[in-house]
Amino acid sequence: MAGLPLLQNSLLVGALLFVLGLVGMLTRRNLIVLFLSAELMLQGISISLVAWSRFHGDWGGQVFVIFVLTVAACEAAVALVFVLQAFARTGRLDAAAWQSLRESNLPRVVDHELPAIDDLPADWPKLSPAGVQPVTDENSALQRDHV
Amino acid sequence: MNLGTLITGSLNDTLAVSLPLFRPELCLATTIVLLLLCRIVPLLRRLDSGIVALGGVCFALWFAWIDFRDLPGSLWLSSSAVQTISSRQEIFTGLLVFDSLTAYLRLLLAGFLVLYILFTKVSGIPDHEDGADFYTLVLGAAIGMCLMVSANHLLMLFMAVEMASVPSYALAGLLKGRKTSSEAAIKYAVYGAGSAGVMLYGISLLAGVLGTCHFPSMAAELARIAGAGGDGSMVLVLGGLMVAVGLAFKLSAVPFHFWCPDVFEGAAAEVGAFLSVASKAAAVALLLRVAFSLGVPPEGDGSMQVAQAQVLVALADTRHFMVYLIGLMAAVTCTLGNLAAYGQTNMKRLLAYSTIAHAGYLMMAVAAAVAMVGVAPAGARAAISAVVFYLGTYVFMNLGAFAIVALLRNKLRSEEISSYAGLVHSSPGIVVATAVVLVSLIGLPPLAGFVAKFLVFASLVEAIAVSAERPLMLVLLVVGGINTVVSLFYYLRVLKVMTFDPPPLDRVGESFSLVSLPGAVVTALVVPVVVLGLFWSSLYACAQLAGAFAF
Repeated sequence: MAGLPLLQNSLLVGALLFVLGLVGMLTRRNLIVLFLSAELMLQGISISLVAWSRFHGDWGGQVFVIFVLTVAACEAAVALVFVLQAFARTGRLDAAAWQSLRESNLPRVVDHELPAIDDLPADWPKLSPAGVQPVTDENSALQRDHV
Repeated sequence: MNLGTLITGSLNDTLAVSLPLFRPELCLATTIVLLLLCRIVPLLRRLDSGIVALGGVCFALWFAWIDFRDLPGSLWLSSSAVQTISSRQEIFTGLLVFDSLTAYLRLLLAGFLVLYILFTKVSGIPDHEDGADFYTLVLGAAIGMCLMVSANHLLMLFMAVEMASVPSYALAGLLKGRKTSSEAAIKYAVYGAGSAGVMLYGISLLAGVLGTCHFPSMAAELARIAGAGGDGSMVLVLGGLMVAVGLAFKLSAVPFHFWCPDVFEGAAAEVGAFLSVASKAAAVALLLRVAFSLGVPPEGDGSMQVAQAQVLVALADTRHFMVYLIGLMAAVTCTLGNLAAYGQTNMKRLLAYSTIAHAGYLMMAVAAAVAMVGVAPAGARAAISAVVFYLGTYVFMNLGAFAIVALLRNKLRSEEISSYAGLVHSSPGIVVATAVVLVSLIGLPPLAGFVAKFLVFASLVEAIAVSAERPLMLVLLVVGGINTVVSLFYYLRVLKVMTFDPPPLDRVGESFSLVSLPGAVVTALVVPVVVLGLFWSSLYACAQLAGAFAF
């Protein structure tokens, strides 16, 4: 049982990350932070899986982590599409803006009223529709900041 | 063992044993590739994606049928056929398992997909432009569900649940032009990501403490720990509860059901049909799989009988825990689903709560099956048969209900129950079809839902007689009976609105005749509900074959 302290320390870090992610998931209202918290949970789990794998002298846990990372990437990709769609539709990333689907006889849940958005015509960058050659504007390409 | 023999051995195992038993999934995967190819090759873009998907799914159905037909003990096995498949076959180095439950559920899922694709072709969602995307997502999720049904390893459990979930998130957001659809997708994805994380942490705890992810090895390790005085059992309980969160999310069991009504209301009725039937069937099968893999030692050869009996006794605590967890969740799920359905005004939302309630009935039978394993294996087998029979009839009942909602939406441009008022005057056929489906969902004779519910309650009665968890089973039976009565009111209210209420003055659309293409779809889904209620013995024979998987 030489690896026991190492196992305990790693499991502690993993559990902390997991709980941080879980608390973030339950309390945050920003959609991007919400999904970041979900990723944080998965990273905490990955750490504990690797720790167990090392403790047992077994590669299974590390293989598991590779699969977890893949799934996390897929989930993040799908979730970001929804976030972008939501932002393009309402101009905000607050989860509280999405309450139209609920029990018809229950009131809306309001803890903080949503701040009003300034009515300036925001020109957000847009993705061109799939399968269509995007129109390039030479002027805007020249004026773009060189990062 | 050197590297060469290792590679040769695993190649032989994969090519000779695993892949032939994996043909339905391979068909679905090939269809997905074909659908995407059709999308990018200009000549093939004209081709209708629904036809391609239908062809591929028919192949999958055929192979699933062959696998089911050739099971040992099957009714259709001709005596001359060579017995090639043993009753339980671990494939892909133990990641998946092929047995009668796998074969039955895969047949059910493939059959459902055939009906589903035909129904979506008629109902008009997806349109030609979205078709390839839609069917790719549906078939991708279906592969995930096939893997859920056959999972034999914690890694496959997680991967399969995710493979079924992630395409479903995108399906929920299919109606890009509607704000409610985006909202449904966001809510589904947030709940899904959270519950997947919690489930994965539970998996890491179970795998870490037990030192293995392979279900039968986990059962053996659990028995050893129980024999050694239960060291680390609190961690195992925590891990088990966290895995149950993930499964309950897939089952839409209370208290992890909140996504279900919102997603069903926001997404198209077609998507709701897929989630409520296929996803539910796969989740119930996964629950059965997990409960019976961890609660019962796998069947071995004759020399191991004594050791197996010891392991079965040692696992009594594990089964006790699972029975209480599943049973209590079932009682709460059933009650809340039925009570919340009572005040609904939107038909899709009502069906969502009805789906939740039916998950409760199914979980009751699962609890009864697990409770009877140690004392009455025959009773446990009958209870599993009841569960899978229920799933078989549920395909027609619920797909029928959602088909009616979707096809009426095309006529009436509304999914509110109030908009169905007085339909009996203009289109009596659809009202009769709705009545058949809803009365079957209540579980009244002589329809298929009655037989299914009768089998579930019969297994509960049997469990009261023999199992150690007698009080819980008694509670489940009483709760199930009361819930059936409560469910009468909200299902019959829909029929009352359809028949007695005066039709709204601003009704758009013409009448809905059963002698039309949409009418034919409804008829094709409703007739089996009646037929299975009268002649249920052959489906029950199939269910009994599937029910024997664990012993």
